[in-house]
Amino acid sequence: MAFLKKDFLMEVSYRFSFVLQFASIFFSVVMFYFVAKLLGEAPSVQKSLSEYGGNYFSFVLIGIAFSNFLSVGLGSFSTNIRSEQMIGTLEAMLVTPTTLSNIVLSSSQWSFAFTSLRVGVYLLIGGFFFGVSFTGAAVLPALLALVLTVVAFSSLGIISASFIMIFKRGDPIAFAITTSSTLLGGVYYPISILPGWLQSLSYLFPITYSLHAIRLSLLQGGGFSEVGGDLLALVIFSCITLPISLVCFRLAVARAKRDGSLAHY
Amino acid sequence: MTDVVLETHNLTKQFIRRKGLSSPRNPFGKTVFTAVKGIDLTVGRGEVFGLLGPNGAGKTTLTKMLCTLLLPSAGSAKVCGYDLARQEGKIKSKIALISSEERSFYWRLTGRQNLDFFAALHGIPKKNARQRIEEVLEIVDMTEAAGRRFQEYSTGMKQRMGLARGLLADPEIFFMDEPTKGLDPIATWHLHDFIRNRLAEAGKTVIVATHHLAEAEQICDRVGIMYAGEMRASGPVKELIGDSTLSDFFRDLVEQTMVERAGN
Repeated sequence: MAFLKKDFLMEVSYRFSFVLQFASIFFSVVMFYFVAKLLGEAPSVQKSLSEYGGNYFSFVLIGIAFSNFLSVGLGSFSTNIRSEQMIGTLEAMLVTPTTLSNIVLSSSQWSFAFTSLRVGVYLLIGGFFFGVSFTGAAVLPALLALVLTVVAFSSLGIISASFIMIFKRGDPIAFAITTSSTLLGGVYYPISILPGWLQSLSYLFPITYSLHAIRLSLLQGGGFSEVGGDLLALVIFSCITLPISLVCFRLAVARAKRDGSLAHY
Repeated sequence: MTDVVLETHNLTKQFIRRKGLSSPRNPFGKTVFTAVKGIDLTVGRGEVFGLLGPNGAGKTTLTKMLCTLLLPSAGSAKVCGYDLARQEGKIKSKIALISSEERSFYWRLTGRQNLDFFAALHGIPKKNARQRIEEVLEIVDMTEAAGRRFQEYSTGMKQRMGLARGLLADPEIFFMDEPTKGLDPIATWHLHDFIRNRLAEAGKTVIVATHHLAEAEQICDRVGIMYAGEMRASGPVKELIGDSTLSDFFRDLVEQTMVERAGN
């Protein structure tokens, strides 16, 4: 809670920026509303999105809202570490009994909490102003998918933070996964329109399963039986990447302590 | 020495620098720089010990190793009876590091909010933390200013907040790295007075890394004189310098080292 409180106080101390972040959501939603209007009721769009109800705006709203978790999961650990290194507070934290792993994990609490708030605002704007209906939504499967999404993306984010711990800048993990996930994961368009070999590749990324499960649950009321496969894929993904990420991070910290570069940036 | 709280044996730190593309003929080659070499040191409870030496002598590297921020390359150390290599967490609950680094606080938060955050990192329960924060603020005379943002503080106030943070968990050993850097003479006097009359009197051990000879002479029971990573001499200030001044002693030691190196 200490990190959450501290980061909240820091965030609201920049009031204008805090407000602007919510304003930007509104403009982003409006932009996609008009893109959806342009695509309209075209048969090809209807066909590609039939699984999700056929409406492009609802489809992309979920995509852009929940892909925020991808950015935060992948980027927040390394960004926060780098930020603490740059403002000079990392060493002060490291001489307290709180372990570095705890510091790294806790430092992203606010990022996830704030992203959840942002996602809520996306959905509220979509629902109130643009008529997206969530009346039949299956909330529990969607929440479980969300939790697994956070764990899966965080594992990748911790690997990314390990790179930052050693190389300070230029993290290949976050770059590769963010660009590939955005391209192949079905954020702006369904993966069914991709060529077959790219569709196969898209199943390597957790975002594909996350968005599929969340869309089905929220837009079509898909229950555990419909999204079970996606949830299982996310569990398997997390079980493999989470231990790897923790080992990577421990090795990175040991190396930084040996090199004396823990607080360098 | 009856109650030893810090002891090191042959403590050494080497930094390995990979040559990389700056040396195209041997990009995989390495250079080894020894920042701290074979330090044997014993400090007792309630002692004020000065690590004295010029810039680059290895004082900060030694301090960081003892604070668990750097892994030693060789040797061993015990801090408050805990092994430096294996009991990092226990050591951290017994020490405080106070540096002259103003950037170690969140400038957008108030002094009190900063202390609240660090109290949580020290594992101080919330119900005790509020009271403890007020106590340490009073000790460093910052109660009235604690509601202001850290960025509004003067250098002296920032240093006092550093002290307040160090006091939060009531540690046994205070490591102070250049604690009076940037302070005016009055603030320096207050800090010296605090070290001698509050910390040492309370049985706290203080390790002060400094290159100010007068400061070491004034507040330290014993000093260790470091030069080029080595501990060249150590002992009570009066025994070391005799009738000379610490300044003269220090100059002679540096000259002696240079002559030895030229001979080698």
